[in-house]
Order: sequence, then C-alpha cells, then structure tokens
Amino acid sequence: MNDTQFDAIVVGSGISGGWAAKELTERGLKVLVLERGKDIKHGADYKGEHAAAWKLPFHGMPDRERDASEYPVQSQSYAFSEANIQFWNNDKDNPYIRTEDKPFSWKRSDVVGGRSLLWGRQVYRWSEQDFKANATDGHGVPWPVEYKDIAPWYSYVEKFIGVSGETEGLPQLPDSEFLPAMNYFDLEKTIKGRVKKKLPEVTITMGRCAILTQEHNGRAPCHYCGPCHRGCSTGSYFSSQSSTLPAARATGNLTLLPNQVVERLEHDETGKHVTAVKAIDTQTGERREFTAKIFFLCASTLASTQIMLNSSSALHPNGLANKSGALGKNVMDHAMQSHISMMVDNPDGYYRGERPNGLYIPRFRNVGEQDADADFVRGYGYQAHTLRPDWQTSFNSKGFGADYKESLRKPGPFWIWALGGFIECLPQESNRVYLHANKKDRFGIPQLVTEFNWGENELSLARDSAKQAEKIFRAAGAVYYTLADIDAISEGGAGIHEMGTARMGDDPNTSVLNKFNQTHELDNLFVTDGSFMTSAACVNPSLTYMAFTARACEYAVEELKSGRLS
Amino acid sequence: MNRRDFLQCAAVLAAGASVFPQSWSMSHEQHAFLASQPNYIDRHPLTFFDEVQRAAVSAIADQVIPATETPGAVEAGAPRFIELMVADWFNDGERTFFMAGLADLQSRAGGSFAVLTQEAQLALLETLEDEASDSPWFQIGNVQRVWDDSAPFICQFKELTVLGFMLSEVGGTRFLRENTMGAFDGDVPLATDDAAYAAEMPMRLVTRS
Repeated sequence: MNDTQFDAIVVGSGISGGWAAKELTERGLKVLVLERGKDIKHGADYKGEHAAAWKLPFHGMPDRERDASEYPVQSQSYAFSEANIQFWNNDKDNPYIRTEDKPFSWKRSDVVGGRSLLWGRQVYRWSEQDFKANATDGHGVPWPVEYKDIAPWYSYVEKFIGVSGETEGLPQLPDSEFLPAMNYFDLEKTIKGRVKKKLPEVTITMGRCAILTQEHNGRAPCHYCGPCHRGCSTGSYFSSQSSTLPAARATGNLTLLPNQVVERLEHDETGKHVTAVKAIDTQTGERREFTAKIFFLCASTLASTQIMLNSSSALHPNGLANKSGALGKNVMDHAMQSHISMMVDNPDGYYRGERPNGLYIPRFRNVGEQDADADFVRGYGYQAHTLRPDWQTSFNSKGFGADYKESLRKPGPFWIWALGGFIECLPQESNRVYLHANKKDRFGIPQLVTEFNWGENELSLARDSAKQAEKIFRAAGAVYYTLADIDAISEGGAGIHEMGTARMGDDPNTSVLNKFNQTHELDNLFVTDGSFMTSAACVNPSLTYMAFTARACEYAVEELKSGRLS
Repeated sequence: MNRRDFLQCAAVLAAGASVFPQSWSMSHEQHAFLASQPNYIDRHPLTFFDEVQRAAVSAIADQVIPATETPGAVEAGAPRFIELMVADWFNDGERTFFMAGLADLQSRAGGSFAVLTQEAQLALLETLEDEASDSPWFQIGNVQRVWDDSAPFICQFKELTVLGFMLSEVGGTRFLRENTMGAFDGDVPLATDDAAYAAEMPMRLVTRS
C-alpha cells in the first residue's frame, strides 16, 4: 500500500467524518481522511480560548470592513468572533451563490475538525414519531429505518462522546445515556415550578449537551469558562479534535491530509463502483488521485452534494448516484424564532461560572396525534436561555461623571429569559442546490447555487411558537415579553442544520441512499453527513448524524469483508 | 480562582501532574501565546490625533467616566482605545464625522477643551447631550447593533469611552469583577454592592444575527 492507496477514504473531518475515521480505523482499515481546511492542533491552536476582551483587536468589536469583504456570510453567526476567526471559511476565497429572493446562508468551517469545533453541542435523540412522520403525513418519502434500529447506535455514540442531561421518560424525546445534568439558575427553578403547575403538558429540562459534567473517557469535566466555540483545550465538549480523531490516530491506521479539496469521484466501467477521489491541494494547486475500496462522504450536506453533482459521467449524467433526481433537492434547516421575556424574581440572586448550555422545552404540539387546534403538522422545541443584563444593555443613557459610571457597575435589577423556537422544516423539492453552469471557484470547481424559502407549514409553526411562548411566559411569571413576528424568522441555513440533499429511502426512484447510507447505485459509496436526512424533526441533528455514521461503518466493513463490495 | 490565577495555575499544571487527565492543562503554546500578547491598546502606536486633540479626548473621557474610589477611563486607557478605533475601526465617513464633531467641540471650548475648568467642561458636554437628547441612541434596546453611525458625536464618544473602559483590563478587573471558572453555581447571593462580571465579548455580537 503506497501513499495514495487506502482501504477507505473519508472526505471531511467534522462530526461525521471524525466518526467514520474512528469506526473504520478501529475495524482495522487503513483510512485516509481528506480535509478541505487548514491543519490545526487540538489546544495549541485555540488561540482565543480564555482570551479576555482586552486582548482582542478592537476589544472584540467586529472588523466590519474585513467581515463585509471576506466573511459576509460567516460573520452573521452568533459564534463568529475575533476570538475564533481562524476556524471559519473565507467567503471570498470559497464562494457559493445566494439567490436574491431565495436566500440561503451557508455556514462553513475551514479547519481540521470542521464545525465540530463550532457547533452548539446540543444533542437530542429522534423519537419513533420523528422517523414515522413522513410516512404518516405524506410529506417527502418514508424513512427506511425506525427508532428501534437506531436506538442502540444512539447509546453507542453517547457513551463515547459524553452527554449531560436529565432523564424525563418522554416518548417524543427519548432519554440519552446521561452524565449528570448541569446546574440550574435559581430563577430557572422558580420558572420550572410555576410552569409545571400551570402548563403540565410543557416539560422544562436541562439542555442535553455533549459537554462533560464529570471526567469521561480521559477528558476533563467542563470548567465553565463560557464560549465553547473558541475551542476547548481540556476537550470538555465533544469535537473531532478532542475525541474521534485521537481515537482514530491511536489505531495507527489513520492518515489525515489537510488542505485537500475533493473535486470529484471516479467510477469503474460498470458505473456501480467508485474507484478514486480526485483532490486539489489548496496551497499548491497540485491535483492528486487517491484510491480505496470504500468511500465515505462526510464533507457536510451541501459540500458532499456538490462533490456528487460534480462527479457526473456518461453513466451518471445528472451527478453521481442521481438516477432519482433527488440529489440536491429537499434542503431542510430549522427555522428559528426568538421570544424574549423579562423576569423580576430573584433580583438578589447571581451565579458563578458561565454555563455553556440552556434549558430545553421538548416538543409538546402534535405529540402522538394531531392537536385539534393545530393548523400545521409536526412541531418545534424551545431552547431557553437565562441572562442577567448589565451595562451592555443600559450604557446608552444620559449623564456624565460618577453617577453615570456607577450606573454601569452592577447587574441590572431583572433577568432576561428567552425562548428560542427550533421549528421542524418539511422537505420541499423547490428548496435545492445545483451547480452553476459557468461560474467556478479558484480551483475550477463549479459553484453551488442555493435556493431556499420556508414553506407555509414552517410559517404556521413559527406563529404557533409565538402563541405558545406567550402562554409559557405568563405561566412563568414574566412581567414583560416580546414575541417574534413572523418576519423575524431566521434565514434558511442560519440554523446551521442544513440537511436532506441525498435523502435515504427504500425506493431508488425517489431517494439517493439506502437504509445503511449506501448509495442505491454505487455499492462502495456511503454518505453520512446531514445530506442523508429524509426529514428534519425539530431537534438538533448532529447526534443522529453520529449514530447513522457509526452504523453505516459497521455495515460497510461487514460488506467489504464478505467480498460484496469488490 | 480568577482568570489570571487560572492561567498561572494552568501553566504549572501543564508542566507537571494534573488532578484529572488533561484537566486545566492548557497547552504551553496557548499559554505562551496569551502571555505574549500585550493588551490591544498597548499593541499599536498612537499616530492619529495631534496633541491638542489627544488632550481633549482624554479630558472628555475623564468627564464621562472619572476616577472615583475605582479607576476611571483615563487610567484604563480608554483614550488610547478611542484613538485606535477612530483611526483603524471607523470607516472614512465615520472618521470624518467624528473629527468634525471633535473640531466643533474644540471650537465651542475656545480652541482647547482640555484647558477649560472641570465645571466648564461638564457644562459644555451637558449642552451637547441636551442638543442630542432626541436621538434614537438613547432609546431602550438600541444596543443590539454593532454601531449606530447616525448617532450624534457626543453619543458616539460616550459609547467609545464605555467600550474602552468596560472591556479594558482595568475596567474588567478593578471596576467590574472577573467571573470564576471551575464550576457553575446558579444560586449565589448578590450583595447590594456587588459588581457585574466582566464581559468576555461585546454582547451586541451575540445578538447581531
């Protein structure tokens, strides 16, 4: 075996790619991981971790001119800042096409570890109802798997990554394998008690997150510094950098090459078997070909789809494995709405440490069966955040001197309690990506065109999320609140949960992948990032990508060993 | 343990045994990087204002946030921050607007704001704020944006002073308090005189999208 021949090639080193690397190397395969982004080292390159505001350029105020020219899309993310700019994609160097009246925001990382360094770390299992949703209400195509197929794989990945949270026993949000949950703010206990009495159908639980509350698999518990997305040198939140890539490296079977943009995949004369990956070195422009027996695309939803579309051939004229025409269609994301309340309870209470996690209100609409008053299908959950306002929200007042200065010093006399609705999105063919006919990037790869709009169901869900948030705020004892108007719905992609462009299904005429994330048409090609998602549910999807990736790896290696993939 | 203690502790632990595997062990490279970085306001020479302008900016900042029993804007280096922001962060239009505002203030001060008595300085600033009193800058909630370039000069100046002071090392450690790391406790009494925690980042960034 030389330096271009491997048993398996994994494209991408983020959440899915890291898992594929770990599972395949641990099963004895020699694995090459190709990563588009720069090489960074765990810990050593988290340059903004624990940096105080006074260490940052402009005290952390954004460099507007640079952001507008080089990071116009990325800089719109809450997680983008001077303290972690090295993790983000440069939009000018790596462009895609936004369509004016169908805007889609494509958030991308550009380092080894990918968005596993930047993710929100919220992890929620899908439920039986989620996997049956398409079959039940007829949107999209039915899932080829059920909850019981995936449940053991959820347990498997949870035990490795470490998930803190509370056991609730809810059918619509199955419990994970939990480490102890994070602590509540005193105010949150008050809110939880009130809501439980007045709205028994609404559960308030601690956010379930891939952040450790005790030592786990050699990683340290969270030290509560706050901004996880600057990187965590103690590995207290799950990332490829802290967890799966080190595990893969420990097998001695991993080769990881950064700065490698995959241009296309090549297949044999039957068109049923991938033979090679063509990659371009982002630093030198050198083009190389790597061969393997199996191929895992984990480049992130839109990027994997772009590679497949760009791999068209005489036998695959519309893109690789795209006989169904589903490749690139049915882009989904979660729509977000922020509802904000003011609470005057517990003004003499404060906190210590920064908890990088909030509360969670699991879906309570259309659970089990359709609610009589619902003019929508599916549902939404809320991520709830507690914040004590300070000078940052009150500095714009009148006055000078000692009194003005003193007005800036103490915490405000109230709390903010915000509900962020995460709304399920239905698959729609018109929400799609495709290759531009002639616009290319600096490597000559056709640029991806994006088209996305929310559908009527998402808008109805968003309206309901405001209506129900009002009930919850009242029950919680809020003294004032603002409910997000439908115009304030997030732009597609802003949820950073893009998925669905190579969906799985039993029918090769309507789906790209089978139930093991294997393409219907090419036996040794697997796609395990968000592109396989047949529907979106309303919960954060990364845990599901991990579970399906691990499951697909086991299947792929069995198939390979039995000789069926050659 | 405050942040500085944490860094020192981390350096010690990184060199030797630790309580947990990897616990508190920031890498040597990271520690060296942070320690080697001077504060933002000390990293760049001041070349934009002339001496008279610099004295005026310092005097205004001192009126906005004076030294009391705690240090004020001048000791915190807010005037340096303002000069760097005007020179490097403002766009051309904002810079022109700011300099015109400063020139107007100087001229209403008879040429040099800095040489006025404390009382005369305050009176002039209060006059400017009176003239600006209907600006939307003062509206509750007008904080969830990066910068309000339509705000009058006096408002912009105050905002720069606040950012220069509250996000500085002096402001963050000797006027506000540093939050502690190690655990999260959501049930800590707040004494009447307790300060808020220093911010790790301007909050407007979190809410900008």
